[in-house]
Amino acid sequence: MRDTPRRAGRRLGVRVTAGAATLALASLAACSGGSGGSGGSHGAVVMWHGYTDVEAKAIAQLGQEWNAAHPDQKVNVTFGGSNDDALKKTLASFVSGKAPGIAYEFGSSINTLAARNQTQDLTSLVKSSPSFQWDDFFPAARQATTTPDGKIYGVPALVDNLALVYNKKLFDAAGLSYPTANWTWDDFRAAARKLTDASQHRYGWAYVNDGTEDTVWRYIAMLWQAGGDLLTPDNKKAAFDSPAGLQAMQLLHDMSVTDHSVYLDTGDGQYQNLFNSGKIGMLWTGPWDLSGINKDISYGAQVLPAKVNHATIAGPDNYMLFNKGDRKTAWAFLQWLDSAQTHLKFAVATGDLPLRESETKLPGYKDFLKRYPANEVFVDNLSKNATKSRPNIPEYPKISQALGAAVQSVLLGKAQPQAALDQARQQVDQILAGA
Amino acid sequence: MAVATARRPTGRRAARAERKRGGRFRRADHLAGWAFVSPAVLLIAVFGLVPVLWSVLLSFQQTDLTSPGTWSGAANYQKMVHDPVFWQAARQTLYYCLMFVPVTMVLAIPIAVLLNQKVRGMTFYRMAVFAPLVTSTVATGVIFSWLYNPQIGLINAGLDKLGLPQQGFFQSTGEALPAVVGMTVWGWLGFAVIIYLSALQNVPRELMEAAALDGCGRVKAFWKVELPLLAPASSFLLVWLTINALQLFDEVYVTTKGGPLHASTVLVYYLYQQAFVDFDGGYAAAIGCALFVVILIVTVVQLWLGRRSSHYEAG
Repeated sequence: MRDTPRRAGRRLGVRVTAGAATLALASLAACSGGSGGSGGSHGAVVMWHGYTDVEAKAIAQLGQEWNAAHPDQKVNVTFGGSNDDALKKTLASFVSGKAPGIAYEFGSSINTLAARNQTQDLTSLVKSSPSFQWDDFFPAARQATTTPDGKIYGVPALVDNLALVYNKKLFDAAGLSYPTANWTWDDFRAAARKLTDASQHRYGWAYVNDGTEDTVWRYIAMLWQAGGDLLTPDNKKAAFDSPAGLQAMQLLHDMSVTDHSVYLDTGDGQYQNLFNSGKIGMLWTGPWDLSGINKDISYGAQVLPAKVNHATIAGPDNYMLFNKGDRKTAWAFLQWLDSAQTHLKFAVATGDLPLRESETKLPGYKDFLKRYPANEVFVDNLSKNATKSRPNIPEYPKISQALGAAVQSVLLGKAQPQAALDQARQQVDQILAGA
Repeated sequence: MAVATARRPTGRRAARAERKRGGRFRRADHLAGWAFVSPAVLLIAVFGLVPVLWSVLLSFQQTDLTSPGTWSGAANYQKMVHDPVFWQAARQTLYYCLMFVPVTMVLAIPIAVLLNQKVRGMTFYRMAVFAPLVTSTVATGVIFSWLYNPQIGLINAGLDKLGLPQQGFFQSTGEALPAVVGMTVWGWLGFAVIIYLSALQNVPRELMEAAALDGCGRVKAFWKVELPLLAPASSFLLVWLTINALQLFDEVYVTTKGGPLHASTVLVYYLYQQAFVDFDGGYAAAIGCALFVVILIVTVVQLWLGRRSSHYEAG
């Protein structure tokens, strides 16, 4: 999910006073869901998104294109506030009665929203629209729209994943050869150590260490790389307290505490600036960070290193539909928006990855790769290495908090890997038992 | 505001005199008075009192704030008593208060005295001291995140030059909260200085002249005359800063997000997390109510102590 702020400022764009927060508690109901009202075009389906910059421009243009071709099925594509706040705003809009027809939501929000009767169950619509070619979407994107009971509550809006992005100049300077597709954890750790220079405040790797999902999902990727799993297949118990889970924690411990080769980011996104100033050699990051890399930095992208495989983790987001306004138009619009042709246009304009396998077969895909050469690795990842996904269960946010604390305590050297895992396992088992 | 406090006795006497004359007020005057205040009263009621009462009701419910809740009696309060993170947040809020309030006040007095001198360009100095207060918290937070950055921050660079050990600041569990204290003291110092400055300027010149005639030097006059006369201002600041300290939120939200590992989680931030991250509105409301009661008690005690101790106000 794009929990990671594209720019550090995105997350900091709000000023909330303490008093306001306390009062907002009770007055939430009084707030309307932002500025996304029906606006000028009356009766149009309102779609909220949190895109900024090029993405905002691209989506607005697609909206205009649709409206020009469908004068009687108008859609009002409008900025609904940062995606970080999309869930809050949508929930508030249910209370105020000003819900949008469509909204961009983080993949992690699906359970909270699926539990609401304002949210449309799209299962039968998707199944009865063969032209929508559901199976053409990448698996990670499909999984993110589906709850454990097999119901579909959204259509893919974005599908990211993590790859290794590295500064070529720093590798050259350290006399290291560039990462390969066969890199192992050992190669990775050794390179990070070699890139590190304490006197220059230079680090081999950066890890977002704020204890949020940003901290957790990279650990989950490592867990999968070592052949482990987060939960048991029935989602009833923790499964990460395993040899694989320990190996992943141990790697974090060894690199952060023993080698000091990891820059620990507090969540303010400083690692991006540091990467730009040549202070960080490697990142595990997604396509969203590429646009923030300075022109003068020569960088490459490679699949993540392997313990037993090169697993990556996808962060898909969805467009979700609500029982508001003309639902037929909303569904028609989304089908069009998510069609291979339309989405490829969006991808070329923004650098977002294709959502569908078939997009990569279209002639326009060459332009995409030409404009965003580093994205090839991420697209490859989608079909090869992004096979597992985080469980879409309501307990997940709490599980993430428990794991976040465990990873953080290991990175800070406050806990030994096994002890941190034991504690997190106990907490997660309790959460899953409903305690 | 401090001025008003300092002069309260006169005010009180005047009010009593007015009340005696009260019989002569006509009903129409009362109506006009109410008409003047009614917009404010209405706004405060709608945006202040109603939400407060609503929070109290919410605290006895299980609710995610957006769908109808269910009544759960005192369950949220029971949960609170047994929640280790709540107690950690409470301890940290207390720690923050005990650091922030005295440090701000103690630093403010000498600065206020300096700013009370007749020096060329004083307006500039006063403005410089006051500027942090009107700087948006977000800007302050971003700047301090840079300054405090352990790897590339200016503060650690300075420590390095001086041969002192590097600090972790926001990345260290032990230093995150003190770092927040440092940042907020910087932000609030201007406010305390302004209050003290106005209190200093309000010290009657006759008193200082009388002290000088009696052979009191400048320094002694400060300790014996001016400082005691600052007591009402101090008692106001104590209450005001404490209330603000107990409600600390913005600075934590824009910098540490309560971390690392809850090390800088204070009560209002924990409340926010419960309400708007975990969507446990009932529990968040219960925390809010508990905090409300604590602030009420602390304020009443402080005001009572302040009234008892500042006997200089009988001027």
